[in-house]
Amino acid sequence: MNNQNKQKGIFRKILSDGWKSYEMKISVTILLIILIMTVFSPILFENDPVKINIKDKFLPPFFMETGSLKYIFGTDQLGRDLFVRSLVGLKNAFIIAFLSTVGMFLLGCLIGIISGYYGKFTDTVLMRITDIQMSIPVIILAITILGISRPNAFLIIIVLVLAGWPVYSRVSRSAALAEKEKEYVRAAKILGASNPRILFFHIAPVILPPIAFVSILDIARMMIFEAIFGFIGIGVQPPTPTFGTIISSGSQYLINYWWITVVPGFLLVLTLTCLNLIGGVLERSRNKILAGN
Amino acid sequence: MFLFILSFLIRRLAQGALIVFLVTFVIFALLRVIPGDPTRVILGPMASEEVRENAAIELGLNKPIPVQYLSYVKDLSKGDFGKSFIRGKQGGSMGGSQDSKGLDLEHRASVLELILKVLPKTLILAGIGIFFALFISVPIGILAGLKSESFFGKLSLYLSSFLVSLPNIWIALVLILVVSVNAGLLPAFGYKNITYAFLPAIVLAIEICPVLIRAFSVSVTSNLSETFYEIGIVRGISKFNMIFKHIIRNSLIPILNLFGAQLIGMVLGGLFVVEFIFNYPGLGLLAINAVFQRDFPIIQAIAVLASSALVIINIVVDLTASIIDRRLKF
Repeated sequence: MNNQNKQKGIFRKILSDGWKSYEMKISVTILLIILIMTVFSPILFENDPVKINIKDKFLPPFFMETGSLKYIFGTDQLGRDLFVRSLVGLKNAFIIAFLSTVGMFLLGCLIGIISGYYGKFTDTVLMRITDIQMSIPVIILAITILGISRPNAFLIIIVLVLAGWPVYSRVSRSAALAEKEKEYVRAAKILGASNPRILFFHIAPVILPPIAFVSILDIARMMIFEAIFGFIGIGVQPPTPTFGTIISSGSQYLINYWWITVVPGFLLVLTLTCLNLIGGVLERSRNKILAGN
Repeated sequence: MFLFILSFLIRRLAQGALIVFLVTFVIFALLRVIPGDPTRVILGPMASEEVRENAAIELGLNKPIPVQYLSYVKDLSKGDFGKSFIRGKQGGSMGGSQDSKGLDLEHRASVLELILKVLPKTLILAGIGIFFALFISVPIGILAGLKSESFFGKLSLYLSSFLVSLPNIWIALVLILVVSVNAGLLPAFGYKNITYAFLPAIVLAIEICPVLIRAFSVSVTSNLSETFYEIGIVRGISKFNMIFKHIIRNSLIPILNLFGAQLIGMVLGGLFVVEFIFNYPGLGLLAINAVFQRDFPIIQAIAVLASSALVIINIVVDLTASIIDRRLKF
């Protein structure tokens, strides 16, 4: 128990240490603003993300001479508001990325700690499965599974979880290997705790939080994958806007109407940079605090 | 020493062969389990059910998957990767609009030839990309590692957070717009000579850089806090010598390990997408088109090659790491 309380302390220490840096504060603020805009976009902005409005097609963004504030990012080839479309695309990308990161974290860590704790034959089999999964290129796996029919969000999440779990299983395995030799695990064993009890109530609460900090970086990575899938044509299907489809359809008009491709990308890059900065700062704080202990 | 290396090699090669065998089987089975009938693509939508079934029998697609796989492995052991389902000898796709009399396997291109034709282009692209990435990330990573609390530490955090946030599909199109369309500096689509590889290589490098910067700075920092550094300084070795002869040398090991598993995987994954965006006729584009067209022999061959490459690179990396750092045992 004592060990777990200490762990909770570390968790808070990492957060408060990370919060001290101003890039963390700025990133969180920007992310919150974007989050509020995406969640309340139907109320805040009157334009419809999927409504076609041919007479307003190819309008430039507001900062160009002929642009207006009615369409902040301009409009695409069908006269749809690119700003509202980007917000909806961002929301969908984030939901898919978040759920798939949670999925790969749970699956990977489950396999990893079982592998590290039980060792021997179980370990060998599970780690070879990890190796095999790691050797299959994500894109090949994705097109094979998603290329068949109308890919939906659920299938995309499954593919991303399959592609991402091996990293978590490796990291959590080595953490479990180090943890199982510690005194409190032996004490729990002598007191008669079963193996699953030790795994899930004693070892998992200690090793999972430090790994969870890094998974923020994976949310950003998965959002990029979601965009790539959309670009190749195996993402969430139109008319639902995604960054991938916005960018790929805009690429046909790249020379004359470059903003369709370029401008929505800035919103995505801004969001991802904030996520990655938060992840990077937290990772540094974690390494600093774990090294200090 | 020699015997050690030999037994290490034999053990690792055996394990590697098993992994390649299993990876190929997973892809092989996945292709056949997931709906999407290659005979439909080969013969076109107008083909009658009878013609289609005959084609499936001729290709062996009606047999149980393990049986198909064993005969595939048997062909492989003779160096025969089979023939493409779709691509003709002249290079174009032959599927879809063909008259539906049946298969004409003689006119299909050999998979090995198709791959050998595009492989050099992919290697050029990957080589230039990795070179660009090292060129940027090595100095920044080492400086950031030496002074992790200073300006360079912050710079590396900002730079890697920003670079890792650039989706390759987007930055590729922005570069095409700025560098090719507006400035007219570099060509963007297809391949005629080596200049066509530069833009895709830059995109690839942007993808790899953040990982390398982080790896270098973390590795250098952790070596600085080791006792051997302080002992060396106390014994009168200059700081400069200590850093350039010992720290950087020892820092290479984690980087090498990274090169093995993660980086090669990243380069491979990046290549697929980058070649697709730039319509660059390499292995990645061949693979993506093959998956869309259900061209099983090409996908299988690429799976064999990619996983073999991964396995071999991992072995080489572990071997080199133990040569650089004599503390590591085989």
